[in-house]
Amino acid sequence: MSDTAFDYYARKKHDHDHDDHAPVAGQDSGPPSQYEIMSRAMQELLEAKGVVTADEIRRRIEIFEEDFPYRGSRVIARAWADPAFKARLLKDGKAACAEMGVELEATRLIAVENTPDVHNVIVCTLCSCYPRELLGMPPTWYKSDNYRARVVREPRAVLKEFGTVLPDHVALRVHDSNADMRYVVIPMRPRETKGWSEEQLAEILTRDTLVGVTVPRVPAKP
Amino acid sequence: MSDPPLNKGPHDLGGAAAGPIDTTDHGMLFWEKQANALRNALSLKKIVRVDELRRAAEDLGDQYYKLAYFERTTMALRTLLLEKGLITESELAAKMAEVRARFDVVPGAGASARKGAPR
Amino acid sequence: MTKARRARARRKPPSTYTPAPGHRFRVGDRVMIKRAFPPGHRRTPYYIRGKMGVIERICGAFPNPEELAYGFDGEPAKVLYRVRFQQRHVWPDYEGPARDLIEMEIFEHWLVPASGRMPTAKLTQTG
Repeated sequence: MSDTAFDYYARKKHDHDHDDHAPVAGQDSGPPSQYEIMSRAMQELLEAKGVVTADEIRRRIEIFEEDFPYRGSRVIARAWADPAFKARLLKDGKAACAEMGVELEATRLIAVENTPDVHNVIVCTLCSCYPRELLGMPPTWYKSDNYRARVVREPRAVLKEFGTVLPDHVALRVHDSNADMRYVVIPMRPRETKGWSEEQLAEILTRDTLVGVTVPRVPAKP
Repeated sequence: MSDPPLNKGPHDLGGAAAGPIDTTDHGMLFWEKQANALRNALSLKKIVRVDELRRAAEDLGDQYYKLAYFERTTMALRTLLLEKGLITESELAAKMAEVRARFDVVPGAGASARKGAPR
Repeated sequence: MTKARRARARRKPPSTYTPAPGHRFRVGDRVMIKRAFPPGHRRTPYYIRGKMGVIERICGAFPNPEELAYGFDGEPAKVLYRVRFQQRHVWPDYEGPARDLIEMEIFEHWLVPASGRMPTAKLTQTG
Protein backbone atom coordinates (compact mmCIF):
# COMPACT_ATOMS: atom_id res chain seq x y z
CA MET A 1 0.00 0.00 0.00
CA SER A 2 1.70 3.20 -1.05
CA ASP A 3 1.85 6.10 1.32
CA THR A 4 2.31 9.25 -0.64
CA ALA A 5 3.38 11.21 2.43
CA PHE A 6 6.52 9.08 2.52
CA ASP A 7 7.37 9.25 -1.17
CA TYR A 8 10.92 10.18 -0.38
CA TYR A 9 12.04 9.54 -3.94
CA ALA A 10 9.78 12.36 -5.11
CA ARG A 11 11.05 14.61 -2.38
CA LYS A 12 14.66 13.77 -3.12
CA LYS A 13 14.36 15.25 -6.62
CA HIS A 14 14.43 18.64 -4.91
CA ASP A 15 17.22 17.80 -2.51
CA HIS A 16 20.81 18.57 -3.27
CA ASP A 17 22.32 15.56 -1.58
CA HIS A 18 24.03 14.05 -4.59
CA ASP A 19 23.93 10.59 -3.12
CA ASP A 20 20.20 10.52 -2.50
CA HIS A 21 18.74 11.75 -5.76
CA ALA A 22 15.86 9.82 -7.18
CA PRO A 23 17.31 6.91 -9.13
CA VAL A 24 18.31 7.95 -12.63
CA ALA A 25 15.73 5.98 -14.56
CA GLY A 26 17.12 3.90 -17.39
CA GLN A 27 15.42 4.10 -20.73
CA ASP A 28 13.38 1.11 -21.78
CA SER A 29 13.33 2.23 -25.41
CA GLY A 30 15.72 0.82 -27.99
CA PRO A 31 16.53 -2.78 -28.78
CA PRO A 32 16.66 -5.12 -25.79
CA SER A 33 19.87 -6.94 -24.81
CA GLN A 34 20.03 -10.69 -25.12
CA TYR A 35 19.73 -10.88 -21.32
CA GLU A 36 16.46 -8.99 -21.32
CA ILE A 37 15.25 -11.31 -24.07
CA MET A 38 16.44 -14.35 -22.10
CA SER A 39 14.77 -13.17 -18.91
CA ARG A 40 11.45 -12.49 -20.63
CA ALA A 41 11.66 -15.82 -22.44
CA MET A 42 12.24 -17.71 -19.18
CA GLN A 43 9.37 -15.89 -17.53
CA GLU A 44 6.98 -16.67 -20.39
CA LEU A 45 7.98 -20.33 -20.46
CA LEU A 46 7.41 -20.66 -16.72
CA GLU A 47 4.06 -18.88 -16.94
CA ALA A 48 2.96 -21.17 -19.77
CA LYS A 49 3.95 -24.20 -17.70
CA GLY A 50 2.04 -22.91 -14.69
CA VAL A 51 5.14 -22.71 -12.51
CA VAL A 52 4.42 -19.07 -11.75
CA THR A 53 1.68 -16.67 -12.79
CA ALA A 54 1.86 -13.21 -14.30
CA ASP A 55 -0.17 -11.96 -11.33
CA GLU A 56 2.32 -13.32 -8.82
CA ILE A 57 5.12 -11.53 -10.60
CA ARG A 58 3.14 -8.33 -10.91
CA ARG A 59 2.38 -8.46 -7.18
CA ARG A 60 6.06 -8.83 -6.31
CA ILE A 61 6.92 -5.83 -8.51
CA GLU A 62 4.28 -3.80 -6.67
CA ILE A 63 5.51 -4.83 -3.25
CA PHE A 64 9.08 -3.90 -4.14
CA GLU A 65 7.97 -0.51 -5.52
CA GLU A 66 5.24 0.60 -3.19
CA ASP A 67 5.78 -1.18 0.08
CA PHE A 68 9.32 -2.10 0.95
CA PRO A 69 11.14 1.19 0.25
CA TYR A 70 9.12 3.14 2.80
CA ARG A 71 9.38 0.91 5.80
CA GLY A 72 12.97 1.53 6.86
CA SER A 73 12.67 5.25 7.47
CA ARG A 74 9.44 4.72 9.45
CA VAL A 75 11.03 2.12 11.71
CA ILE A 76 14.16 4.15 12.34
CA ALA A 77 12.11 7.33 12.89
CA ARG A 78 10.21 5.44 15.60
CA ALA A 79 13.57 4.43 17.12
CA TRP A 80 14.62 8.08 17.19
CA ALA A 81 11.36 9.19 18.76
CA ASP A 82 11.07 6.38 21.31
CA PRO A 83 14.25 5.28 23.15
CA ALA A 84 12.55 2.17 24.57
CA PHE A 85 11.60 1.08 21.04
CA LYS A 86 15.16 1.75 19.91
CA ALA A 87 16.44 -0.53 22.66
CA ARG A 88 14.06 -3.28 21.51
CA LEU A 89 15.09 -2.73 17.88
CA LEU A 90 18.74 -3.12 18.81
CA LYS A 91 17.99 -6.23 20.81
CA ASP A 92 15.91 -7.98 18.14
CA GLY A 93 15.26 -6.18 14.87
CA LYS A 94 12.67 -8.58 13.51
CA ALA A 95 10.59 -8.56 16.69
CA ALA A 96 10.66 -4.77 16.97
CA CYS A 97 9.56 -4.33 13.35
CA ALA A 98 6.69 -6.76 13.93
CA GLU A 99 5.55 -4.57 16.85
CA MET A 100 5.09 -1.75 14.35
CA GLY A 101 3.23 -3.92 11.88
CA VAL A 102 6.26 -4.24 9.62
CA GLU A 103 6.29 -7.98 9.02
CA LEU A 104 9.68 -9.10 7.76
CA GLU A 105 8.77 -12.49 6.32
CA ALA A 106 12.20 -13.60 5.22
CA THR A 107 14.54 -11.10 6.89
CA ARG A 108 16.52 -11.54 10.08
CA LEU A 109 17.24 -7.95 10.89
CA ILE A 110 20.10 -6.64 12.99
CA ALA A 111 20.07 -2.90 13.71
CA VAL A 112 23.40 -1.24 14.45
CA GLU A 113 23.60 2.15 16.07
CA ASN A 114 25.76 5.14 15.18
CA THR A 115 27.08 7.01 18.23
CA PRO A 116 29.53 9.87 18.70
CA ASP A 117 32.23 7.15 18.87
CA VAL A 118 31.08 4.62 16.26
CA HIS A 119 29.86 4.81 12.67
CA ASN A 120 28.44 1.77 10.90
CA VAL A 121 28.37 0.89 7.21
CA ILE A 122 26.86 -2.14 5.45
CA VAL A 123 27.99 -4.20 2.46
CA CYS A 124 27.65 -7.66 0.98
CA THR A 125 31.01 -8.44 -0.59
CA LEU A 126 29.91 -11.84 -1.92
CA CYS A 127 26.75 -10.77 -3.78
CA SER A 128 24.20 -8.09 -2.83
CA CYS A 129 22.48 -9.18 0.38
CA TYR A 130 20.50 -6.22 1.64
CA PRO A 131 17.42 -5.76 3.85
CA ARG A 132 15.11 -5.59 0.83
CA GLU A 133 11.95 -6.07 2.86
CA LEU A 134 12.87 -2.97 4.84
CA LEU A 135 14.56 -0.73 2.27
CA GLY A 136 13.44 -2.02 -1.14
CA MET A 137 15.93 -2.84 -3.86
CA PRO A 138 19.55 -1.91 -3.24
CA PRO A 139 20.99 1.03 -5.16
CA THR A 140 23.27 0.25 -8.10
CA TRP A 141 26.36 1.43 -6.23
CA TYR A 142 25.71 -1.08 -3.42
CA LYS A 143 25.69 -3.94 -5.96
CA SER A 144 28.73 -2.59 -7.83
CA ASP A 145 31.97 -4.55 -7.86
CA ASN A 146 33.91 -1.47 -6.76
CA TYR A 147 31.85 -0.89 -3.61
CA ARG A 148 31.90 -4.56 -2.69
CA ALA A 149 35.66 -4.73 -3.18
CA ARG A 150 36.72 -1.50 -1.49
CA VAL A 151 34.40 -0.69 1.41
CA VAL A 152 35.75 -3.56 3.53
CA ARG A 153 39.35 -2.60 2.89
CA GLU A 154 39.35 1.20 2.68
CA PRO A 155 36.00 2.22 4.15
CA ARG A 156 37.05 5.76 5.01
CA ALA A 157 38.08 6.47 1.43
CA VAL A 158 34.81 4.99 0.18
CA LEU A 159 32.75 7.10 2.58
CA LYS A 160 34.61 10.18 1.31
CA GLU A 161 33.39 9.35 -2.20
CA PHE A 162 29.88 9.68 -0.81
CA GLY A 163 30.76 12.99 0.82
CA THR A 164 31.07 11.56 4.33
CA VAL A 165 34.24 12.36 6.26
CA LEU A 166 34.74 10.63 9.60
CA PRO A 167 37.18 12.01 12.16
CA ASP A 168 39.76 9.49 13.36
CA HIS A 169 38.32 9.37 16.88
CA VAL A 170 35.14 7.80 15.46
CA ALA A 171 35.54 4.04 14.96
CA LEU A 172 34.27 2.79 11.62
CA ARG A 173 32.51 -0.54 11.88
CA VAL A 174 31.93 -2.35 8.56
CA HIS A 175 29.34 -5.13 8.43
CA ASP A 176 29.70 -7.71 5.67
CA SER A 177 26.22 -9.30 5.32
CA ASN A 178 27.55 -12.64 4.24
CA ALA A 179 25.06 -15.13 5.68
CA ASP A 180 21.57 -15.15 7.21
CA MET A 181 21.43 -11.75 8.91
CA ARG A 182 20.54 -8.41 7.29
CA TYR A 183 21.51 -5.02 8.59
CA VAL A 184 20.17 -1.51 8.99
CA VAL A 185 21.97 1.47 10.49
CA ILE A 186 20.36 3.71 13.13
CA PRO A 187 21.98 7.06 12.35
CA MET A 188 22.63 9.63 15.05
CA ARG A 189 19.70 11.97 15.43
CA PRO A 190 20.64 15.60 14.70
CA ARG A 191 20.02 17.99 17.60
CA GLU A 192 18.04 20.31 15.35
CA THR A 193 15.28 17.71 15.02
CA LYS A 194 14.16 18.12 18.62
CA GLY A 195 10.36 18.20 18.77
CA TRP A 196 9.90 16.81 15.24
CA SER A 197 7.12 14.35 14.49
CA GLU A 198 7.97 10.83 13.33
CA GLU A 199 6.86 11.78 9.80
CA GLN A 200 9.34 14.66 9.78
CA LEU A 201 12.09 12.45 11.14
CA ALA A 202 11.41 9.79 8.50
CA GLU A 203 11.95 12.37 5.75
CA ILE A 204 15.60 12.87 6.63
CA LEU A 205 16.20 9.16 7.19
CA THR A 206 17.02 8.54 3.56
CA ARG A 207 18.03 5.15 2.26
CA ASP A 208 21.71 6.02 2.07
CA THR A 209 21.79 7.02 5.75
CA LEU A 210 20.33 3.62 6.66
CA VAL A 211 23.10 1.82 4.78
CA GLY A 212 25.64 4.10 6.43
CA VAL A 213 27.36 5.84 3.51
CA THR A 214 25.91 9.21 4.51
CA VAL A 215 24.47 10.86 7.61
CA PRO A 216 21.07 12.56 7.88
CA ARG A 217 20.99 16.22 6.93
CA VAL A 218 18.62 18.79 8.32
CA PRO A 219 17.62 21.06 5.42
CA ALA A 220 18.74 24.64 5.93
CA LYS A 221 15.88 26.95 6.79
CA PRO A 222 14.92 29.12 3.79
CA MET B 1 55.46 -14.72 -9.29
CA SER B 2 52.56 -15.60 -6.94
CA ASP B 3 50.03 -18.30 -7.80
CA PRO B 4 46.43 -17.25 -8.31
CA PRO B 5 44.44 -17.65 -5.07
CA LEU B 6 43.31 -21.25 -4.69
CA ASN B 7 39.59 -21.75 -5.35
CA LYS B 8 38.70 -18.08 -5.09
CA GLY B 9 35.42 -17.45 -6.87
CA PRO B 10 34.96 -14.42 -9.14
CA HIS B 11 32.29 -13.12 -6.77
CA ASP B 12 34.58 -13.08 -3.74
CA LEU B 13 35.49 -9.45 -4.18
CA GLY B 14 36.23 -8.19 -0.68
CA GLY B 15 39.62 -6.44 -0.71
CA ALA B 16 40.17 -6.67 -4.49
CA ALA B 17 41.77 -3.70 -6.23
CA ALA B 18 39.00 -1.61 -7.74
CA GLY B 19 38.29 1.86 -9.02
CA PRO B 20 36.09 4.75 -7.93
CA ILE B 21 32.45 4.09 -7.10
CA ASP B 22 29.68 5.55 -9.21
CA THR B 23 27.68 6.88 -6.26
CA THR B 24 24.59 7.69 -8.36
CA ASP B 25 21.76 5.23 -8.00
CA HIS B 26 20.80 4.32 -11.57
CA GLY B 27 17.70 2.48 -10.46
CA MET B 28 16.31 -0.42 -12.47
CA LEU B 29 14.95 -0.84 -15.97
CA PHE B 30 11.51 -2.39 -16.14
CA TRP B 31 12.85 -5.76 -17.33
CA GLU B 32 15.22 -5.79 -14.35
CA LYS B 33 12.33 -5.20 -11.95
CA GLN B 34 10.47 -8.01 -13.65
CA ALA B 35 13.52 -10.30 -13.48
CA ASN B 36 13.87 -9.54 -9.78
CA ALA B 37 10.18 -10.22 -9.20
CA LEU B 38 10.39 -13.50 -11.11
CA ARG B 39 13.33 -14.65 -9.01
CA ASN B 40 11.60 -13.55 -5.84
CA ALA B 41 8.35 -15.34 -6.73
CA LEU B 42 10.24 -18.53 -7.58
CA SER B 43 12.19 -18.53 -4.34
CA LEU B 44 9.08 -17.80 -2.24
CA LYS B 45 7.53 -20.89 -3.80
CA LYS B 46 10.77 -22.76 -3.02
CA ILE B 47 11.23 -23.64 -6.68
CA VAL B 48 14.73 -22.22 -6.60
CA ARG B 49 16.76 -21.38 -3.53
CA VAL B 50 18.68 -18.12 -3.19
CA ASP B 51 21.75 -20.22 -2.31
CA GLU B 52 21.44 -22.09 -5.60
CA LEU B 53 21.12 -18.84 -7.54
CA ARG B 54 24.23 -17.48 -5.84
CA ARG B 55 26.17 -20.66 -6.59
CA ALA B 56 25.15 -20.58 -10.25
CA ALA B 57 26.32 -16.96 -10.55
CA GLU B 58 29.63 -17.81 -8.86
CA ASP B 59 30.13 -20.68 -11.32
CA LEU B 60 30.15 -18.22 -14.22
CA GLY B 61 33.92 -17.98 -13.78
CA ASP B 62 35.63 -15.30 -15.87
CA GLN B 63 32.34 -14.46 -17.55
CA TYR B 64 31.23 -13.00 -14.21
CA TYR B 65 33.53 -10.02 -14.71
CA LYS B 66 32.10 -9.27 -18.14
CA LEU B 67 28.46 -9.18 -17.03
CA ALA B 68 26.44 -6.50 -15.33
CA TYR B 69 24.44 -7.37 -12.19
CA PHE B 70 21.16 -8.40 -13.83
CA GLU B 71 23.00 -10.18 -16.62
CA ARG B 72 24.67 -12.37 -14.02
CA THR B 73 21.44 -13.10 -12.25
CA THR B 74 19.70 -13.91 -15.55
CA MET B 75 22.44 -16.37 -16.50
CA ALA B 76 22.27 -17.90 -13.02
CA LEU B 77 18.51 -18.43 -13.29
CA ARG B 78 18.96 -19.96 -16.72
CA THR B 79 21.46 -22.44 -15.28
CA LEU B 80 19.10 -23.45 -12.50
CA LEU B 81 15.99 -23.79 -14.63
CA LEU B 82 17.90 -26.08 -17.00
CA GLU B 83 19.42 -28.01 -14.10
CA LYS B 84 16.02 -28.61 -12.56
CA GLY B 85 14.50 -29.59 -15.89
CA LEU B 86 11.95 -26.78 -15.72
CA ILE B 87 12.92 -25.66 -19.19
CA THR B 88 15.05 -27.17 -21.95
CA GLU B 89 17.75 -25.49 -24.06
CA SER B 90 15.70 -25.83 -27.23
CA GLU B 91 12.55 -24.44 -25.59
CA LEU B 92 14.54 -21.47 -24.37
CA ALA B 93 16.16 -20.86 -27.75
CA ALA B 94 12.79 -21.03 -29.49
CA LYS B 95 11.13 -18.70 -27.01
CA MET B 96 14.01 -16.25 -27.18
CA ALA B 97 13.69 -16.16 -30.98
CA GLU B 98 9.98 -15.47 -30.58
CA VAL B 99 10.55 -12.70 -28.03
CA ARG B 100 13.29 -11.22 -30.18
CA ALA B 101 11.02 -11.17 -33.20
CA ARG B 102 8.41 -9.28 -31.20
CA PHE B 103 10.96 -6.53 -30.62
CA ASP B 104 11.81 -6.58 -34.34
CA VAL B 105 15.50 -7.03 -33.55
CA VAL B 106 17.90 -8.48 -36.11
CA PRO B 107 19.45 -11.61 -34.52
CA GLY B 108 22.94 -10.90 -33.22
CA ALA B 109 22.58 -7.15 -33.39
CA GLY B 110 21.85 -4.78 -30.55
CA ALA B 111 23.15 -7.08 -27.84
CA SER B 112 24.68 -4.16 -26.01
CA ALA B 113 22.26 -1.47 -27.15
CA ARG B 114 20.64 -1.19 -23.73
CA LYS B 115 23.03 -2.19 -21.00
CA GLY B 116 20.79 -1.15 -18.15
CA ALA B 117 22.47 -0.10 -14.92
CA PRO B 118 26.27 0.07 -15.01
CA ARG B 119 28.18 -2.70 -13.25
CA MET C 1 -1.78 -2.57 13.58
CA THR C 2 -5.14 -4.28 14.07
CA LYS C 3 -6.16 -5.73 17.41
CA ALA C 4 -6.01 -9.25 15.98
CA ARG C 5 -2.53 -8.65 14.67
CA ARG C 6 -1.33 -7.36 18.00
CA ALA C 7 -2.76 -10.47 19.66
CA ARG C 8 -0.92 -12.69 17.22
CA ALA C 9 2.31 -10.80 17.80
CA ARG C 10 1.97 -11.24 21.54
CA ARG C 11 1.39 -14.97 21.22
CA LYS C 12 4.32 -15.80 18.96
CA PRO C 13 6.73 -12.93 18.40
CA PRO C 14 9.06 -13.45 15.48
CA SER C 15 12.75 -13.12 16.23
CA THR C 16 15.88 -12.37 14.27
CA TYR C 17 17.59 -15.18 16.14
CA THR C 18 17.00 -18.90 16.47
CA PRO C 19 18.08 -21.21 19.28
CA ALA C 20 21.59 -22.65 19.04
CA PRO C 21 21.71 -25.57 21.45
CA GLY C 22 25.16 -27.05 21.85
CA HIS C 23 26.93 -23.98 20.50
CA ARG C 24 30.67 -24.51 20.94
CA PHE C 25 31.69 -20.87 21.30
CA ARG C 26 30.58 -18.10 23.60
CA VAL C 27 30.43 -14.34 23.17
CA GLY C 28 33.91 -12.99 23.83
CA ASP C 29 35.78 -16.14 22.75
CA ARG C 30 38.80 -15.49 20.57
CA VAL C 31 38.64 -17.46 17.35
CA MET C 32 40.59 -17.96 14.18
CA ILE C 33 38.83 -18.44 10.84
CA LYS C 34 40.00 -21.70 9.30
CA ARG C 35 42.78 -21.27 6.81
CA ALA C 36 41.08 -23.49 4.24
CA PHE C 37 40.34 -22.89 0.56
CA PRO C 38 37.82 -25.51 -0.53
CA PRO C 39 36.09 -25.21 -3.90
CA GLY C 40 32.38 -24.63 -4.16
CA HIS C 41 29.87 -22.32 -2.57
CA ARG C 42 31.11 -20.85 0.72
CA ARG C 43 29.85 -17.87 2.65
CA THR C 44 33.18 -17.28 4.40
CA PRO C 45 34.86 -14.54 2.39
CA TYR C 46 38.37 -15.28 1.12
CA TYR C 47 39.82 -12.19 2.80
CA ILE C 48 38.92 -13.37 6.32
CA ARG C 49 40.35 -16.86 6.16
CA GLY C 50 43.13 -17.40 8.68
CA LYS C 51 42.28 -14.14 10.51
CA MET C 52 41.77 -13.78 14.26
CA GLY C 53 38.65 -12.29 15.76
CA VAL C 54 36.26 -12.38 18.69
CA ILE C 55 32.72 -13.82 18.93
CA GLU C 56 30.39 -10.80 19.00
CA ARG C 57 27.04 -12.61 19.05
CA ILE C 58 25.39 -15.97 18.52
CA CYS C 59 22.85 -15.69 15.71
CA GLY C 60 21.32 -19.14 15.94
CA ALA C 61 21.44 -22.33 13.91
CA PHE C 62 20.66 -22.33 10.19
CA PRO C 63 20.75 -24.82 7.33
CA ASN C 64 24.22 -24.96 5.82
CA PRO C 65 24.31 -22.76 2.69
CA GLU C 66 27.23 -24.82 1.35
CA GLU C 67 24.75 -27.69 0.96
CA LEU C 68 21.64 -25.66 0.08
CA ALA C 69 23.51 -24.30 -2.92
CA TYR C 70 23.53 -27.78 -4.49
CA GLY C 71 19.92 -28.73 -3.77
CA PHE C 72 20.45 -30.47 -0.43
CA ASP C 73 18.47 -29.52 2.65
CA GLY C 74 21.46 -28.21 4.57
CA GLU C 75 20.59 -30.22 7.68
CA PRO C 76 21.71 -30.56 10.37
CA ALA C 77 21.67 -26.80 10.92
CA LYS C 78 24.99 -25.21 11.81
CA VAL C 79 25.49 -22.55 14.46
CA LEU C 80 26.11 -19.10 13.01
CA TYR C 81 28.09 -16.47 14.91
CA ARG C 82 28.92 -12.84 14.33
CA VAL C 83 32.66 -12.38 14.59
CA ARG C 84 34.38 -9.05 15.11
CA PHE C 85 37.85 -8.27 13.74
CA GLN C 86 40.15 -5.31 14.01
CA GLN C 87 40.72 -4.01 10.50
CA ARG C 88 44.47 -3.77 11.08
CA HIS C 89 44.47 -7.52 11.80
CA VAL C 90 42.71 -8.22 8.49
CA TRP C 91 44.63 -5.94 6.09
CA PRO C 92 48.40 -5.55 6.49
CA ASP C 93 48.21 -2.15 4.77
CA TYR C 94 45.09 -0.86 6.54
CA GLU C 95 45.31 2.92 6.70
CA GLY C 96 42.58 3.80 9.17
CA PRO C 97 42.80 4.02 12.95
CA ALA C 98 43.33 0.94 15.14
CA ARG C 99 39.78 1.28 16.47
CA ASP C 100 38.22 0.45 13.06
CA LEU C 101 36.40 -2.88 12.97
CA ILE C 102 34.92 -5.32 10.49
CA GLU C 103 32.24 -7.82 11.43
CA MET C 104 30.55 -10.68 9.64
CA GLU C 105 28.76 -13.94 10.16
CA ILE C 106 30.76 -17.16 10.30
CA PHE C 107 29.47 -20.71 10.61
CA GLU C 108 30.80 -22.82 13.44
CA HIS C 109 32.65 -25.28 11.22
CA TRP C 110 34.83 -22.42 9.97
CA LEU C 111 35.93 -21.46 13.49
CA VAL C 112 39.01 -22.66 15.32
CA PRO C 113 39.51 -21.71 18.96
CA ALA C 114 42.36 -19.21 19.09
CA SER C 115 43.58 -20.25 22.51
CA GLY C 116 44.33 -23.79 21.35
CA ARG C 117 41.90 -25.32 23.85
CA MET C 118 39.00 -27.22 22.31
CA PRO C 119 35.69 -25.73 23.43
CA THR C 120 33.18 -28.10 24.98
CA ALA C 121 29.44 -27.84 24.61
CA LYS C 122 29.00 -27.77 28.37
CA LEU C 123 30.81 -25.15 30.43
CA THR C 124 32.83 -26.82 33.14
CA GLN C 125 33.97 -23.55 34.71
CA THR C 126 32.12 -20.42 35.61
CA GLY C 127 33.07 -17.11 34.02
